[in-house]
Amino acid sequence: MTETDMTSSQDTEPNASDQGSPALACYGISKRFKTIQALDDVTLSVPRGSIFGFLGPNGAGKSTLIRVVAGLIAADKGHFDVLGNSSLKGHGVRKDMSALVDRADFYKNLSAYQNMKILGRITGHDSDEHINSLLDLLGLYERRKDKVKTFSQGMKQRLGLAQSLLPDPKLLVLDEPTTGLDPQGMHEIRDFILKIAAEQNVTIFLSSHLLHEVELICSDIALIFNGKLAAQGSMQNIFREIDSVTIELEVEDSKTTLVFLEKTDLVTQITPLANAISIEIHYNKIPELIRLMSAAKINIFSVSQRNRLENYFLSLMEGK
Amino acid sequence: MILFKLTQNELYKIFSLIRSYIGIILFTGIVPLILWGYGMGTSHIEGQIESSVSDMFFIEGSPTNGFTAAYFIMNFFWIHIPFLLALVGGDIFAGEHANGTFRVYATRPISRLSIFTSKVLATIIYTFIFVFYFGLLTLGLGLIWHGGGDMLVFHNGVLILESSDALVRFFIAYFFSFINMVLVSSIAIFFSTMVRNAVGPVIGTMALFIFILMVSTLPLEVFKSIQPYLFTTYFSNWEQAFYDPIPWADLFRGFGLVASNIVMFLGIALIIFRRKDILS
Repeated sequence: MTETDMTSSQDTEPNASDQGSPALACYGISKRFKTIQALDDVTLSVPRGSIFGFLGPNGAGKSTLIRVVAGLIAADKGHFDVLGNSSLKGHGVRKDMSALVDRADFYKNLSAYQNMKILGRITGHDSDEHINSLLDLLGLYERRKDKVKTFSQGMKQRLGLAQSLLPDPKLLVLDEPTTGLDPQGMHEIRDFILKIAAEQNVTIFLSSHLLHEVELICSDIALIFNGKLAAQGSMQNIFREIDSVTIELEVEDSKTTLVFLEKTDLVTQITPLANAISIEIHYNKIPELIRLMSAAKINIFSVSQRNRLENYFLSLMEGK
Repeated sequence: MILFKLTQNELYKIFSLIRSYIGIILFTGIVPLILWGYGMGTSHIEGQIESSVSDMFFIEGSPTNGFTAAYFIMNFFWIHIPFLLALVGGDIFAGEHANGTFRVYATRPISRLSIFTSKVLATIIYTFIFVFYFGLLTLGLGLIWHGGGDMLVFHNGVLILESSDALVRFFIAYFFSFINMVLVSSIAIFFSTMVRNAVGPVIGTMALFIFILMVSTLPLEVFKSIQPYLFTTYFSNWEQAFYDPIPWADLFRGFGLVASNIVMFLGIALIIFRRKDILS
C-alpha cells in the first residue's frame, strides 16, 4: 500500500482537487464530552461514488463524527465539506446530503406517506409521484397508508432510508443502519444500500461495527479508535496489505489434505474444523496452494476467505 | 417560504395529536353546560342586580344576557386555560426529543433558528385558535342562547355598555387574554427545550405559573413590592377592557411586562435549543 492509497495518521489534509471535491472531507474535527475526547483531530476523505465504511469498536467516535456531519452536534474544532460546500458557511453544507442517524424514528401516529410528506415539504421534494416512487423502491408502497406504529423494525428502517432519499441526496450518511434488525432485515437493508448506490448514483458513508457487513458492501473504509483515525483507504488496497489471511478449505478427504498441508511450507497454521480445514496463509500464496492441491489430486469443493477485515482490524488494534 | 413550510409542518403535527383537542373538547362540553346553568339561575342573578341598582335605575327587560354570560365564564376560565395550553407547548420540543424525530428533522438543511421559529409560530397560532374558539363559544353561543342587549358591568358603580360597545370591549379583552396565554405557551416552550420528555415541561409550566400566581395574589406586605413585576399580576388585566374609560396606560403597562416575559422565555429557549447536542 502506498501513502496515497492509505493514510495511517490524521495529519494529511484531504486533497480536494484530484477528481473534483470529495463527497465528504473532514478537516481536524475534535469533540469532547466532559472528560471523554470523543473525536481527536479527525481528518478523512470520502471519494465520490464510493460506499465508504466507517469502522470502529463501540465508543470509538463513529456516531459522534456522523452527528457532527449531520448537524446534530457541534464540533469543538475543525470543519467539513460536503461535495465542496463548507460547514463554515452554515447549514447549507447539508443541501446535497441526507442522513439516517441511529435507528429510524417517526411520528408514529402518522402514516408512512404522511411522514414522508412532512420531511419532503422542508426541501420541496414532496410531490406524490416522488414519495410513492421512493416507497415503491423500498418496498413500502402497499403499506403507505398504514400508521408507522404498526411497522416492524425492518420496515421502519426501510422507511427511514426512503425518507433520507427524499431530497435526492448525492451523499447519504448512514449510522449503523442494520442495528436491531434480524438477519433477514440486515440482508434486506444491505441489498437496498447496494441498490440505492447503483440506481440513484449516491455516495454512501456508512458507520458500522459489523466488519462482515462492511466487507460485503463497502469499496472504501476508514477505521477509528478512541476518537483518532487509525487508517483509511480502498478495501482493495487494504486487503493487499494484509500479510496473513485465514481461509477455510472444504475438501473431499480431510485426512489426506491435512497431511499435505503439514508438509507444505506455504501454510503458517492449520486448524481442523467439523466440516472444513481452517488455515492461515499469506494472501499472495493462495493461488499457488490451490495449484499444488489440484496437482496432488485433492478434490476441493470450496475455498472461502474468512474475516479479512477482522484480521486487519485486530492487527491495527494490537498495534495501537 | 421555508418558514411557511416548516410552520405548516408544525401545525400538521400539532393537530395530528389527540392532546391538542383535549381543551377544545372540554370547552365544547363545559361552556354549553355553564350557559345552561346560567340560564337556569338568571332570576336569582337578576334579583340581585335589580336590588343593588333599584335606587339608581329602573330596569326594563333582563339585565342578564349573552354578554354577561360570556363575562361570567371568562372570569374563572383564564386560570384553567394555561393547563390546557401547556399540554401542547410543553410537547413541541420535548415530544420530538422523546420520539427521536428530532434526529431526523435536524439533519435537514435548515437552521436551528428556522426550526425554533416555526415551532414558536405554530404554538402561537394554536394558542390563537384556542382563544378564538373559546371566545366564539362563550360569546357566540352566549348571545344565541341568552340574546344580546346592553351589558351591565359593576366597577366603581354600575357601567352600562351598549351592545355594539360591549362587543368591541370583548374583542379588546380577548386580545389581552390571548397575549397572556402566549406567555403561558412561551413558558411551556422554554421548559420543553430543556428536557427530553413531554411531562416535565407541562408540570414545570404549571408549577411556575401557580407559584407566581400565589405570590402575586397573596395579600402580604412582604410581596407587595415585587407584585407589579410578576406577570400573573396582569393575568386579569382583560377586565380593564370593560372599565369606563378604558385605562389604556394600565393595560399597556401590563402588556409590556407580559410581552417582555415572552421575549425573555423565548430568548432563553432559543439559546438552549441552538446549543443543544442531539445525542440520542
